[in-house]
Amino acid sequence: MKISLDWLSDFVDWTDETAVLAARLTAAGLNVEGIEQINKTFPGVVVARVLEREKHPDADRLSLCKVDDGTGAPVQVVCGAPNVRAGLTVLFARVGAELPGDLRIKKSKIRGVESHGMICSAAELELSLDGAGIIELDTKLPNGTPADDLFGFKDTVLEVEVTPNRPDWLSHVGVAREVAAIYGTKMSLPPVFNAVQGGESLGVKVRVEHYADCGRYTAWGLQRVKIAPSPRWMQNRLLAIGARPINNVVDITNYVMFEMGQPLHAFDRGQLAGNAITVRRAPKNTSVQTLDGQTREVEAGTLMVCDEKGPVALAGVMGLGNSEVSEKTTEVLLESAFFNASLVRKASRRMGLISESSYRFERGADWDMVERAALRALQLLQEHAGARIVPDWADRHDPDHRPADPLPLRVWQVNRVLGTAVNTGQVAQILQRLGLKVQPMGNAESISAGAVNMMVQVPSHRRDLLMEVDLIEEIARIHGLDQLTGRGGYRVPGGAVRRPQDVARDRLRGWLSSCGYTEIVTSSFMEAGDHDKLALAADDARRATLAVVNPRHGGDTQLRTVLAPSALAVSRRNLNAGATPPLRFFQINRVFRPGQPLGRDTRHADEALLPAEHEYVQVIVAGWRDTGLGGLPCDLLEIRGTVEAMAGHLRLPLTLEAGTDESWLDAGAAWSVRAADGRVVGVAGRVAPGVLAAFDVDGPVALAEVRLDDLDLTPAPARFEPFTRFPAVKRDLSLLVPAEVAYGQIRDTVDSSGGPFLESSELFDFYRGKGVPEGQAAFGIRLKFRSPKGSLTGETVDAAIGEILTALKDRWAIDPRG
Amino acid sequence: MQEMIDRLRSEASAATAAAGDDAALEAVRVAVLGRKGSLTALLRGLKDLDEAARREAGAALNVLKEEISAVIEARQAELGGDRPAASSGLDLTLPGRAPAPIGSRHPLLTVLENICDIFHGMGFSRDEGPEVELDYYNFTALNFPDDHPARDIQDTFYFNDKVLLRTQTSPVQVRMMERREPPLACIFPGRVYRNENADASHSSEFFQVEGLVVDRSVSMADLKDTVDTFVRNFFGASAPTRFRPHYFPFTEPSVEVDMQCILCGGKGCGVCKQSGWLEIMGAGMVHPNVFKAAGYPDDRYTGFAFGMGIDRIAMLKYGITDIRLLYENDLRFLNQFRGVQ
Repeated sequence: MKISLDWLSDFVDWTDETAVLAARLTAAGLNVEGIEQINKTFPGVVVARVLEREKHPDADRLSLCKVDDGTGAPVQVVCGAPNVRAGLTVLFARVGAELPGDLRIKKSKIRGVESHGMICSAAELELSLDGAGIIELDTKLPNGTPADDLFGFKDTVLEVEVTPNRPDWLSHVGVAREVAAIYGTKMSLPPVFNAVQGGESLGVKVRVEHYADCGRYTAWGLQRVKIAPSPRWMQNRLLAIGARPINNVVDITNYVMFEMGQPLHAFDRGQLAGNAITVRRAPKNTSVQTLDGQTREVEAGTLMVCDEKGPVALAGVMGLGNSEVSEKTTEVLLESAFFNASLVRKASRRMGLISESSYRFERGADWDMVERAALRALQLLQEHAGARIVPDWADRHDPDHRPADPLPLRVWQVNRVLGTAVNTGQVAQILQRLGLKVQPMGNAESISAGAVNMMVQVPSHRRDLLMEVDLIEEIARIHGLDQLTGRGGYRVPGGAVRRPQDVARDRLRGWLSSCGYTEIVTSSFMEAGDHDKLALAADDARRATLAVVNPRHGGDTQLRTVLAPSALAVSRRNLNAGATPPLRFFQINRVFRPGQPLGRDTRHADEALLPAEHEYVQVIVAGWRDTGLGGLPCDLLEIRGTVEAMAGHLRLPLTLEAGTDESWLDAGAAWSVRAADGRVVGVAGRVAPGVLAAFDVDGPVALAEVRLDDLDLTPAPARFEPFTRFPAVKRDLSLLVPAEVAYGQIRDTVDSSGGPFLESSELFDFYRGKGVPEGQAAFGIRLKFRSPKGSLTGETVDAAIGEILTALKDRWAIDPRG
Repeated sequence: MQEMIDRLRSEASAATAAAGDDAALEAVRVAVLGRKGSLTALLRGLKDLDEAARREAGAALNVLKEEISAVIEARQAELGGDRPAASSGLDLTLPGRAPAPIGSRHPLLTVLENICDIFHGMGFSRDEGPEVELDYYNFTALNFPDDHPARDIQDTFYFNDKVLLRTQTSPVQVRMMERREPPLACIFPGRVYRNENADASHSSEFFQVEGLVVDRSVSMADLKDTVDTFVRNFFGASAPTRFRPHYFPFTEPSVEVDMQCILCGGKGCGVCKQSGWLEIMGAGMVHPNVFKAAGYPDDRYTGFAFGMGIDRIAMLKYGITDIRLLYENDLRFLNQFRGVQ
């Protein structure tokens, strides 16, 4: 919203310079976002008469004119406007003139003909926002009159941010009230116009079907209207705040709206059918043409203003083309009404049509302004459109309408909420400055819990003040929030508790980043084809997604049910950008699975409509092509090692088990991650080559993910266990193992046959190739034996190793090497 | 004599420049300045000259000696101090081996955790809520009337009439108050969504931290205290803050909180758009209708709430000029935050 200070000064006085005024308005909650200086002057532009006009010898669309600019000698000028003709009085920019947009007029040759200046259009002088064609002035104006005398003006415009609770600030009068409250001065409304004047009776009957839809509807008649441009000062003010002047009648309705906040509408009375106006809901869907030329579909139930034939306006939103004021209009019916905010909003949103009128009505109109604004418009129409006012006017209003009930105010509560120590007198004074009526109650000075000190009557333009706390905000605003000082060292109540999941998450993030993983934050949305690219089975529950019904243009609609696509996208992006592999990433993020039961406690019955939100930690190793121990790819080894170490770090008993049915992992190179109770809580492994191809990732990607919200993240408690101080005996086994036997099988056999003293077994070498028979591999396993009772003898250890070797031979046909 | 001095000067500099390692350089030093060095020999020869010539040549030779010493020293520095210790022959310039490669936390979540830590230290507990929310919790219970322009402030992604992506972390307030009786002091960090097109300062997904304190008599002055304590701890300086009246449906009075621009100290700069102030959060006193929705008895409690955008604060803190960088996951960006806690 723009506020012209020139206009504002009609209603209130202030002495501060603009920057200070702006700062004080901002401090009171009317945020001034910009200050614009308007200084419209037209150096070198004068009134001139077109003496002759002939066609340019060399160009069909150009005219060659001679003008008298008051200097005596006719000046030759080329003009491109279609409406230029001899006898016109125009604005002429002499050579050397400066036009808006830093345009300087020079002597020039246009298609071989000399041109000494320019005949100006309104748009070229920024006197109008469109204005094709040159301006045609009153022929009585003397040639050579400076354009500044006619059109120059200066103003300062504030660009203000009006919050939705303050529709009263959408007008100059409303802002003037605020200025008066801030400075503790008086503001004045335009005087009430006494409309009575000779003429016939209005002859229009108004009917309002439901007062709930339209609390008040007034219609006012005007005759002998002469449609013309509105006066220059009015156009200037409208231009200053970014509104487009059209003609006197339309401009006046707009002017009064920007001045007093009340939207008005002018009908061409001659175009209205019959003598009755009805405000009613559209009985069925219909199609109308609004006065912006658009054809619009109107839903049944939309509030309409109708004549005896049908709709003539979308109530509170926009008039229709069928009754629009035009150059031929001579009789006008002026509407000033109080439409239901919610109905106007619904209609405006459904049709995607936001007008200055709907913007104000949906925020709430001012009941008391309905009549007053109409009278102001009548006055201006009489002055500037030659209108004759019909003495009679139609008025239908809700007989049950009452002013708001007075609000009780406890000064005790003011101080309780604000932490201030204001007294009754200060409070009353602030409220009175805001134009509220204060009625002291009981012992007004006595401030105590529950004691009502005053009753406050809220005027019709402040219907946002609905309860005591709204008054408290007013006191805070005007008292000044900069007056607010803390008690110092305020401590919030209650002791802070850390939830195990927050602690675990924080530790995970710290630990993973220390391990070389880079944290990523990825979108909650997924792309439409991602499930197919992941080769999810047709009946996979994760194919069910939630989709937004109003996505961004070109934006994704579905919330992700899997994290994998984001891991692949980040890998692709960075591999393509030339980052040196291996790339390591991690994320702790949510997926959204509709239709799964939730454990949340809530009071709301609709809670079941919400999806389950599962939080996963995912680690990713991308682009690593090396192989490591046992011929396993390095990324696979690291992913496994990371999950195991993560379990250790968080003191969570997670185990990996070869094999998964996850479609997007390579079945031969993946594990399931199980919790202590055996539930599968995650997966780890290499992404299947087909999936990599589908996501266009050039390089292997190994990843692991563990669902965190499903785990008890309370770390297993640490408890000391006594350890033996007797020395361990270490022995290395070197084994020749058939290719089909897996290390895990050997490990299990070793562990189960090693006897009571076997403390640990560890793979330290794996070799296949030269020196090892074809189809076999050499394993090096380090064994550690220890007894709690004493030092072990060589014989005891030898016996244990004998048991192990026998078991390996019997079960897997494994022999010791060499 | 002068001729000999000049020749020695040029020979010594050439030999010094040619010395490829410390041993060679040491050899040059010995050959020129050593006990049997060429310069030492010339100095010895001075005694054969008459007194005037001796004085002149002596001064010249001493200057030369300093010159050559300086040249050798400079060359020694050039050859580098970090060189194999003569004793072990180990190349100690080889790169070290880290116990693990270097990763990083995401700057956005680092800031989020920093903020949560500060509030935790001030006594706030932490909770989180769903990102897919009911219209009821995101709007209705927060005193956004149905069909009211207040809803236009936040462009919302809807799944249907009742379900949406939360536009703010504030709904967690209501969920918390439904579950627990005051006194309460909680923060609610999390991801929120707005149906906006992305540009340098807007993203359709971003992060907020919401705070809520409810007790028998909590005041706006206490809010101011809390905000000031936070600013002092987070920004490390006691930058003044100011409250500007604003409108949020779920608080009354509502304010926007500005802090004095940390970059220009309030003088006005590009970051604060010459105003000298930076908007850091929205805040206010919990609206009685929100207490009502939570099921608290009328008038028993007062409380304050505040909410801040983490992205904006992270951008301020690290000088990030485009919010989209936070969500692109480009290592060239993320690697800059290695070691940032």
